[in-house]
Amino acid sequence: MKRVGIIAMVTIILVVVLAGGSGGIAWAAEEVTVEELVANMEEFDEREVTISGEAVGDVMLRDDHGWVTVNDDAYSVESIHEGGDLTGYSNWGIGVWAPRTELEGIQIMGGYKYKGDQVRVTGVFHRACQEHGGDTDIHANRVEVLEPGHPISHPFAHWKLILVLVLAMLVMALGYVWWKRTHPSLPRGWRG
Amino acid sequence: MILRPSRGDVKLIGWGIGRVILGVGLLMTVPLVTAVLSTEWDTVLDFLVGILACVAFWLVMELTCKSERDFRWFHGLIVASGGWITAMLFGAIPSFLSGHYKAYLDACFDLMSGYTTTGLFLLQDLDHASNGLNMWRHLLTYAGGQGIIVIALTFLFAGTAGAFKIYVSEGKEEKLLPNVINTARAIWMISLTYLVIGSLFLWVSLLKEGMPVARGGLHSLWLFMGAWSTGGFAPQSLNILYYHSFWVELITLVIFVIGSFNFALHYAVWTGNRREIYRNIEIRSFTTTILLGTVMLSIGFGKFGVFGSLGEFFRKGFYQLASGHTTTGNSTVYSTSFFQEFGFIAMWAVILVMAIGASACSTGGGFKGLRMGIVFRYLRGEIRRLVSPESAVVPEKIHHVHDIWLDDPMVKGALFIIICYVVIYSLGAMLGVIYGYDPSVAFFDSVSAGSNTGLSAGLTSPLMPAALKVYYIFMMWAGRLEFMSIIALFSFAGALLRGKRARRRRS
Repeated sequence: MKRVGIIAMVTIILVVVLAGGSGGIAWAAEEVTVEELVANMEEFDEREVTISGEAVGDVMLRDDHGWVTVNDDAYSVESIHEGGDLTGYSNWGIGVWAPRTELEGIQIMGGYKYKGDQVRVTGVFHRACQEHGGDTDIHANRVEVLEPGHPISHPFAHWKLILVLVLAMLVMALGYVWWKRTHPSLPRGWRG
Repeated sequence: MILRPSRGDVKLIGWGIGRVILGVGLLMTVPLVTAVLSTEWDTVLDFLVGILACVAFWLVMELTCKSERDFRWFHGLIVASGGWITAMLFGAIPSFLSGHYKAYLDACFDLMSGYTTTGLFLLQDLDHASNGLNMWRHLLTYAGGQGIIVIALTFLFAGTAGAFKIYVSEGKEEKLLPNVINTARAIWMISLTYLVIGSLFLWVSLLKEGMPVARGGLHSLWLFMGAWSTGGFAPQSLNILYYHSFWVELITLVIFVIGSFNFALHYAVWTGNRREIYRNIEIRSFTTTILLGTVMLSIGFGKFGVFGSLGEFFRKGFYQLASGHTTTGNSTVYSTSFFQEFGFIAMWAVILVMAIGASACSTGGGFKGLRMGIVFRYLRGEIRRLVSPESAVVPEKIHHVHDIWLDDPMVKGALFIIICYVVIYSLGAMLGVIYGYDPSVAFFDSVSAGSNTGLSAGLTSPLMPAALKVYYIFMMWAGRLEFMSIIALFSFAGALLRGKRARRRRS
């Protein structure tokens, strides 16, 4: 019985050491949203957290590290150009500072034409990061791409084209009347 | 009281507003070209609709309201105030068609915020917005900073002797050159020169910070437009925090501080009068109030203790303070941080400098440094008079491009405008409190809107009550035009109604 206890103890210690050594202590990090982080900065300050969302804008590489912005709002699931609902706010995102090697996996950044890669970020949240002039950020030790991004199709809005044509005809008609009124002395052939 | 306007008055005003709207339509060609170059065809259609609507309105006004009369003061005031409202309604067309707004009111809010260089916005999902829409947002704040009437004057009112009356009605009193059309063009020349230099500096720093060349170029242009106009718009939802860059923060800070200076001061310096920088009352007033604000901010930060180092104080404290004082609205913190991370004293330091605002005849809003200088000198004169013999004459003067002796009408005028600002700030805050917002947050956003700043402590959002949106639009408009044009517009509407009632009674 005593031997079983010792084996169990050693196994637990080995699991903890190996998981920690391989950077796999992510399971200890709390899964949160950016909105929760921003609303409770003091509570989450210096704690390890995990967020999941869309990589938007640019990857800005600086030496062996880089910045990426990760949004986890409703638009990161379905942007308004994909038919997503207007939910009543702009975006919820946060700057993630990560090693260059972790950022290399991100290929598509979110914007008007693309839905960005869906990523899962694990790292330490800083309410006022001392390394980055007080920025609110996450220093990530792990960035995983969960789902690759894709182009967003913008179907041609035919009703807008019809509106353009109607307005163009109106402008031409008004312009014709205005031209006739302001240029009354044009030669006969010019006056239609 | 304004006498009952004649049909000729109404026609002349309609004609003037038509020209302003044609100017808005011409401005839309820039985002249209941007959308074409970016192959954003849906956005191209949005701007085509907007341009055609503006041209159609202008043609209707030309056909129905063409007048040979010239503008009097009263017409100028109505064209300016009515022109801004009409420009908001037409300018909101492509924004609303983009699909980023739940209601047309929200698009109008953003347009008024852009024109008045406020910077608050209700646009949703900014991080997925097109280049064309972003160009429009930033261009209208850049153009609005010079004044949309200035745009119209530059291109569309040439040869109109009454142009000065419209120009002054937009809240600008400085005549840099004898001819007001040339003054408008000088304002553009100053702004365009800074645009080239400032954008280049920003582009280089963005490239250094790891942005791609093309996007870096567009972002540098937009950031310049947002900072120079003291509008504070940025192409990403995190605003300046998105870039995580000391250099971008430093350059935008320099741009918005320079942008907040009086165009007359710019012109004086440009034409070789460099001593004006040290002597000008507005520079002295700005220096004094920003120093006092910095002291207050330091006390606040010291008590709260979130931002401890000098670097953090500069990038998170002083940056927001200067952004608030110049009524810019660029920000390197989350909006909720003002309430949660700054603490009461530091938050109120930002509120106070926002209320004071930038220089007269600049792109900024608020009480203005000139008026603060006038009131301060007047109070100093009163104290000196009290301690002097009864028969002593104690004159006070200010230096603004040249020496100006203070007189009672000047002091009364300055005090009247300051009181108007205090009233609209307070009413906005009261309305916010009535709707259940925290008093400090309600005050913060109300002062921000009324002084055309654009920082937010979290109240301004698409979910805010419609009545607050309408009142904020009014505040941004009234604050930018400095009340006189607005009072004239309401008097004009009252006079028109009186006239209609009188006609009905007679018949």
